[in-house]
Amino acid sequence: MWKTILRRILIMIPEVIILSLLVFLLAKAMPGDPFTGSINPKADPAQLHHLMKMNGLYDPWYQQYWNWVVHLFHGDLGNSYQYQEPVTRLIGSRAVNTLWLAVFTTILTYCFALPMGMYAAKHEGKLPDSIIRIYTYVTYCIPFFVILIIGVWIFGYVLGWFPTTGSISATAGPGFSSAASRLYHILLPGILGALFGTVNVVQYLRSEVIDAKRSDYVRTARSKGVPSKDIYRHHIFRNSLLPIAAFAGYSITGLLNGSLFTETVFSYPGMGLLFINSISYRDYTVITALVLIYGILNLLGTLLSDIILSIVDPRIRIE
Amino acid sequence: MVKTKTKLATVAVTFLAALTLAGCSNNSKTSSSDSTKVEKVNLSTAYKNKAATNKNATKNGTLKLAIVNNAPFQGITDPILASNSEDAQAFAPGGQNNLFNVDKNYKIIDGGLANQKLDRKAKTATITLRSNAKWSNGSPVTAKDIEYAYEVLGNKESVTQQYSSDYENIVGMAEYHKGTADTISGITFPDGETGKVAVIQFKKMSPSMKFSGNSFIWGTVEPYDYIKDVPIAKLASAKQVRKDPIFVGPYKLDKVVEGESTSWSPNKYYYGKKAQIGHITLNVVSMNNIDKALQSKKYDSVAPSAAGALGGTNYKNLKNLKGYTKVGAPALGYSYFAFNLGHYDTKTGKNVADPNKKMANKNLRQAMMYALNVDQISNKFGNGIKWRANTLLPPVFKKYYNKDAKGYPLNVKKANKLLDEAGYKKRNGSKWRSDPKGKKLVIHFGAMTSSATTEATYQDYLQQWHKVGLNVKYTNGKPMEMNSFYDTLQKPSQNKMDLWLGAWSLSSEPSQSQLYGDTAPFNMGHFATAKNTELINKMNDSSAWNDNTRTKTFKEWQEYMNEQAGVVGEQFNYAWQPVNNRVKGFDISPDNNEFYSNLTLTSSKLK
Repeated sequence: MWKTILRRILIMIPEVIILSLLVFLLAKAMPGDPFTGSINPKADPAQLHHLMKMNGLYDPWYQQYWNWVVHLFHGDLGNSYQYQEPVTRLIGSRAVNTLWLAVFTTILTYCFALPMGMYAAKHEGKLPDSIIRIYTYVTYCIPFFVILIIGVWIFGYVLGWFPTTGSISATAGPGFSSAASRLYHILLPGILGALFGTVNVVQYLRSEVIDAKRSDYVRTARSKGVPSKDIYRHHIFRNSLLPIAAFAGYSITGLLNGSLFTETVFSYPGMGLLFINSISYRDYTVITALVLIYGILNLLGTLLSDIILSIVDPRIRIE
Repeated sequence: MVKTKTKLATVAVTFLAALTLAGCSNNSKTSSSDSTKVEKVNLSTAYKNKAATNKNATKNGTLKLAIVNNAPFQGITDPILASNSEDAQAFAPGGQNNLFNVDKNYKIIDGGLANQKLDRKAKTATITLRSNAKWSNGSPVTAKDIEYAYEVLGNKESVTQQYSSDYENIVGMAEYHKGTADTISGITFPDGETGKVAVIQFKKMSPSMKFSGNSFIWGTVEPYDYIKDVPIAKLASAKQVRKDPIFVGPYKLDKVVEGESTSWSPNKYYYGKKAQIGHITLNVVSMNNIDKALQSKKYDSVAPSAAGALGGTNYKNLKNLKGYTKVGAPALGYSYFAFNLGHYDTKTGKNVADPNKKMANKNLRQAMMYALNVDQISNKFGNGIKWRANTLLPPVFKKYYNKDAKGYPLNVKKANKLLDEAGYKKRNGSKWRSDPKGKKLVIHFGAMTSSATTEATYQDYLQQWHKVGLNVKYTNGKPMEMNSFYDTLQKPSQNKMDLWLGAWSLSSEPSQSQLYGDTAPFNMGHFATAKNTELINKMNDSSAWNDNTRTKTFKEWQEYMNEQAGVVGEQFNYAWQPVNNRVKGFDISPDNNEFYSNLTLTSSKLK
């Protein structure tokens, strides 16, 4: 297996190179540059040209790409034109916020979805199953930004139970106070994200459990008089988690993608908002760095999913 | 120093986003007297709260302000390196390291961190710091701190967007900027670097130097001792600028949460009126949420912005907000229509008018402006805080603003007459007018993508032009994304847009050379005439030291620009905001130089 993993990682290298080249060229192909629109009555275009030159933005694209690659190998992703700070530091600070929210939301999602999926499957065709299915369809159909706006309006503004903006209170102290404030700020978006993001896990789990219920090994276990509780716990549940495990790799690497809607509605400085703003501002260094990171994470996600599958299901081996 | 926004997109969106479609009727009852009466609201710059200050609430309370923005602020505290208004708002309680106090016309006056004395004969500006001027870490503000601002500004490695060739009017600045000199020879210290006086030697003097925001004298100080070990190229990302900055204003920074909030407490070293409120916090709140945030009393007000933080839609939603009082002042900005009249000659560095351009005919330009009903648009969509711009200088410049200028009210009859006279006639049964030579005339209108309602407003303008027989179409068939829009306009020569709708956020010094001068690259319509150059030069020549002469020149220029219609103002607006009734001393007029120090609270909770 290790040989295969190594081979997969080696294949990723040319993929990443092609990806980075494509991203770089596409970013450069967009109209405008980081200083487009930076005009005011006292600004001097000569200074803007000076800054363009200083940043090598007038160099041919292949030279700019080469410079970028050289810096990349030195661990330097450049400076953000918009934020005027190293891209690594900028992404690092946003990634922390995004991770907090994403991990919390993911944990909550599984906490809600796994019992719901199991319960629905166990009571297939009965009222609880219908209620859970309707719930998942309804939450799937409503656009998430609508939920966020309504949620922040009711629980944030009307009832005042939760903070409505930012990732931490402006006056939070260090240590526990800071962690508590962060947790408080992600409660509402996290709960909303989890309550309205269960559909995939619930439906996959439900259908897998229903399939497993009808399988020979379950029938055999029943005929041998194994208690139903034990059958579900030891036989059905583990096998039914396979498709969910297949997605786990993507889910873990996808945690860093951020949620543009949540970040916009809650003015929560995360990766999603950073990505969109960097495109609007033609902040090339940030765009290329983020897309490269996302690309690598997706490739790793595929690999990770395969590895997880091979671990949870002994029948599957990476060849 | 009152700074300008630099990402024009933000300005344009702020300026235009609040326009709504309701009532965008196609008023076709056109006559010379059909302009709609505009019901402009009348807001005071100050909330005169008669309630008594609650000393306990003030001392232990927190004033909560919102920074209205859809993105995190950038976190650069240094006004030389920051290039957006959100940073200025987020760090405003620290005083933004301002050197000078100003009067209601932004004229520099004595009484601030430093006084300025201009000597026209010797061509010098002497800047004298007050003896008790200190940074928020207790160290004294020195003459070197004044000079170091110019070093940061002019250093060739600096990432500032604020440097302009105007600063090379300082003796030695050009050499320093090129890197051939280590210091700026024209800035000297009669009492030494640690003294309180800095003298700036100029090659020539300009009357604009009397005003804050001019492009010759920089208006802030840099804490030289505190940042001297940081290379200027890396200053914008240094912790001395981002995480642990020091200030000269009434409040010191307690904490900055990157991109989202700042919190402040009184600076015991402040030279002026002592800060009274125990804490101030400023949080970023998105435009989508700000109305609800204020309605649910999460904030006392929004951080003041000279260009206006809130728009007409916000006004409609918040004008009757219980527990709040509205304040406002004419904004430092305006939206405008500009026509493509020539090109920028990169060899000579001059704008050149081209008589063969599609829009070169003055009658055509005037007719297009008379065809629009901006009064009605403003009246119904601006909710009273926007109104038709009658000139290219907003009323915030009380002295220079020409309130008697008529501008272009709706007058379809006159528009048709102007077009007929100039030979733009409908020929061969066409519903569209052709040009005087009989050739097909299609005019391309450039506009930026915005809200659905704003884009509907563009449609209203297109309809109005169609009514006078002008075939006006969007450039590229639809509104353009901001970068594409300015990428097109900033080219030395372009033929994609014949006219466009844009917006300017202005400096507090109203000279027009950078926007409409014959050498200004930002004169994107390339409007260049001898008379225009003469008037713009006259705004800052020796005669302009006399305020009355300068005022007369500004007014004459406004009339001239209206008559030429190369660039025509679209709308002015109020920079307005609601203030919770527990706040006392809230006054956004420019001459309130102790804005944050003057604030107190009348209760511990929002009313």
